[in-house]
Amino acid sequence: MVTRQRDARFHFFLFAAAILALLSAAPALAQEAGKEVAYRAFPLIGSRLAVWAVAQIHLNFAAFILGVPVFAVIIEIMGWRTSTALLGGLFLFILVGFYPKFWSYMSGIFYSTFWVYGILFFLETFTVYLWYYGWEWLSGAKKWIHVCLGVLSNLFGTAILFVANAWVTFMVSPGGIDEAGNLKSLWGAINNFTWMPINIHRIIANIVFGGTIAAAYAAFRFLSASSDEERARYDWMGYIGNFVAISAFIVLPFAGYWLGREIYAFNQTMGITMMGGFLSWLWIIQAILIGVLFIGSNYYLWLGMERIPGSERYRKYIPYLLMVIAAGFIVWATPRSMVITLQEARAMGGTHHPLLGLLGVMSAKNTAVNLMILTTFLSFLLYRRANRISTKPWVGTGMAAQWATFGLAAAVVTFFGVYGYFVESIVRIGFSVYQVLSVLGAIVLVMAIDIPMFRGARSTGTIRWGQIAPRSQYILILLAVTFTWLMGLMGFARSAIRQHWHVYGVIRDTSPDAVTPALGYAANVITLVTIVFLLLVMFIFWLGGLGEKGKEKTHGAVAPAVAAGSGDRK
Amino acid sequence: MRLPIVVKISVFALAVMGVYTYYANSIPQIQSKPPEELSLEGGNVTQEQLIKAGEEIFKGKGTCEVCHRIGQAGARAPDLAGMGARAVKRKPGLSAKAYLIESLLDPGVYLVEGYPNIMPKVDKPPIALNRSELWAVTAFLESLGGTVDVALDDIPKSAGAGAAGGGAQVAELKLPGDPKAGQAVFTGKGACVACHKAGSIGASPVGPDLSQIARIQTPDYIMAKILDPAAMGTVAGFPPKVMPQTIGQTLTAKEYVDLVSFLLTLKGSSATPAPQGKK
Repeated sequence: MVTRQRDARFHFFLFAAAILALLSAAPALAQEAGKEVAYRAFPLIGSRLAVWAVAQIHLNFAAFILGVPVFAVIIEIMGWRTSTALLGGLFLFILVGFYPKFWSYMSGIFYSTFWVYGILFFLETFTVYLWYYGWEWLSGAKKWIHVCLGVLSNLFGTAILFVANAWVTFMVSPGGIDEAGNLKSLWGAINNFTWMPINIHRIIANIVFGGTIAAAYAAFRFLSASSDEERARYDWMGYIGNFVAISAFIVLPFAGYWLGREIYAFNQTMGITMMGGFLSWLWIIQAILIGVLFIGSNYYLWLGMERIPGSERYRKYIPYLLMVIAAGFIVWATPRSMVITLQEARAMGGTHHPLLGLLGVMSAKNTAVNLMILTTFLSFLLYRRANRISTKPWVGTGMAAQWATFGLAAAVVTFFGVYGYFVESIVRIGFSVYQVLSVLGAIVLVMAIDIPMFRGARSTGTIRWGQIAPRSQYILILLAVTFTWLMGLMGFARSAIRQHWHVYGVIRDTSPDAVTPALGYAANVITLVTIVFLLLVMFIFWLGGLGEKGKEKTHGAVAPAVAAGSGDRK
Repeated sequence: MRLPIVVKISVFALAVMGVYTYYANSIPQIQSKPPEELSLEGGNVTQEQLIKAGEEIFKGKGTCEVCHRIGQAGARAPDLAGMGARAVKRKPGLSAKAYLIESLLDPGVYLVEGYPNIMPKVDKPPIALNRSELWAVTAFLESLGGTVDVALDDIPKSAGAGAAGGGAQVAELKLPGDPKAGQAVFTGKGACVACHKAGSIGASPVGPDLSQIARIQTPDYIMAKILDPAAMGTVAGFPPKVMPQTIGQTLTAKEYVDLVSFLLTLKGSSATPAPQGKK
């Protein structure tokens, strides 16, 4: 009850903020009555920053919500769904109020989809509430209904994401319109070049995001825990959250490749501007963030092995794994062009370093990231079998086949990475597909061998849940902060590639904010948005915590208690 | 003193974000500014000014340098050193300027061996060069080892029609002014006709020919130019600060809106609804 009252206050606060934002445009509205207005100015911070900040926070919450159902059993707080609706409302108010002309055009194209969006949102909310409040009366023989409701809520949530993505991607790569911008095909406008790649990319990223936030929450609870049992439970929860995040994370770069390829297919100029133009340094920042995510995820797994008896035999491999990941990180973060003086350029013989410059191109970077993914998978594999010894008679053959698969995949990745230097760019782009397929194939094949090989394996001891170094929990927080920041950066990238266009090539941005800001300014905004988002998440978790005990009594099992020393390992 | 966990975590998170923010602020800070429109219609521009303007477009608004280099073969596009001399040999029967104009307006017609068909039509969005800009770029390319002989009339009248902005944007603009009354302001109280030509009205060469001003400039630019001529710059080839600074203040609100409405009707003899190319 307390939680609901607090939720209501929070919702009221957001609603009031939305009204205030709308009212701030009211004087201008009154003056401009009867006149077509292209832009209005948001007080103090300007319209662009207002839309940017609210859109990103809304997106963060929406991503979190769509990622949460994967481990909804662990996290019981669902109140934020309504909060997101209100953030969406606030975003809409600002967009309509301060960008009326743009909004007019977009609503002219997508009006019918707004109805679909509204209906889906209603269905989603209805399903989630049924699912949430149906824990008790949909138990026992009716459990399947509850499971179906959970699946249905995922489907509705995904459909909402797809509809909203149509609007966003239309701005980047408009389709279904004639040369004057008039709608010719609604399906063409929806199914534009970047729609499906963004859909897939966001679904995967949402799972990663939800996993990292849940793991960070678990880390906070672990560090605050006062009993071994509580520590064990939240250690386990952090592991699950991180496991979900890593599992999705290792396929995320592949979705990114697809998106990039579609951007090039839509418009070469846009693609080149994105990778080689004023945004080129953005990918260096991205590389650093992803490097942190890779190193952090692996480090967490290695620390986790310390609580597993029998893992000692695998620890000797960790320095080598670290070396591969660090080397990959260095390659990925190597810029192609450097900002240097004329004298430095002359001394170096050009704007590219004669040796390191070779590492700044996509051939090297694709190779690096694929090897990093393979290495991370290997870390997970060692963790998975840390306290198990296979009893199967074919274990030797199985192990050999697994190592051969790893070696073959690494060889394929390296071969195409090197070969890429000797072919034209159009051929080189195709090589990334072979690299990706070899890595994915290796993951599938190795797991196909590993699962039966370790079925019924002899245990070397149970996992000592809760007995992990506290610094591991800071790694989980590092991953959550980094991924949230990375989402903000990628949101900026997606928007910035349009440059001075609201809808690329169709509606030019003639507002005072038409300048696309530099990365420093963008980073400042992203940091502020991330802080606001994390504060709101902390606030919501705090609200949830107030009613936690009551809810546990009401709903029964919420977060499964994992006793310290329990041998159960997922 | 033992710090609460929430404080420790908050400080840690802020430190992480601080590092990212610091790094992003320490690397090259490059903004992407909206390109400015260049108008040379009817202007007495010198060849040097034209080439200079073309070079600026080549490096800026045209985004040519993203792929093309001068004196260095690019991975995506040919080296343009000596292009002015080489252009005449590319396609039999085509002069250098004709080949260069074709390459700008329809790049896929002729591809240099070994390079993919990736160049966009530069008079279409998002680059959307107008006729003046196409003229200047062609002159610049001819100057790379060749003879500059391109004239504005060599650029097709239909080229660059979408330069002012997206089609949706142009089509939606509605002003409450009366173009006919605006024409009276142009020839009467505003005395614009003393310096400018507007279609069949006037013939003075003092200021730029405004016969196609609605096609080559944005409404924002036209309105701002009347209110503050100096701040909006001077068209290349014309003496700066000749246009009276007080012109905007001498007109009533109705006269101003009427005048702008009239100017927005000036789309040239071959004016067509602004098409917007899409991939």
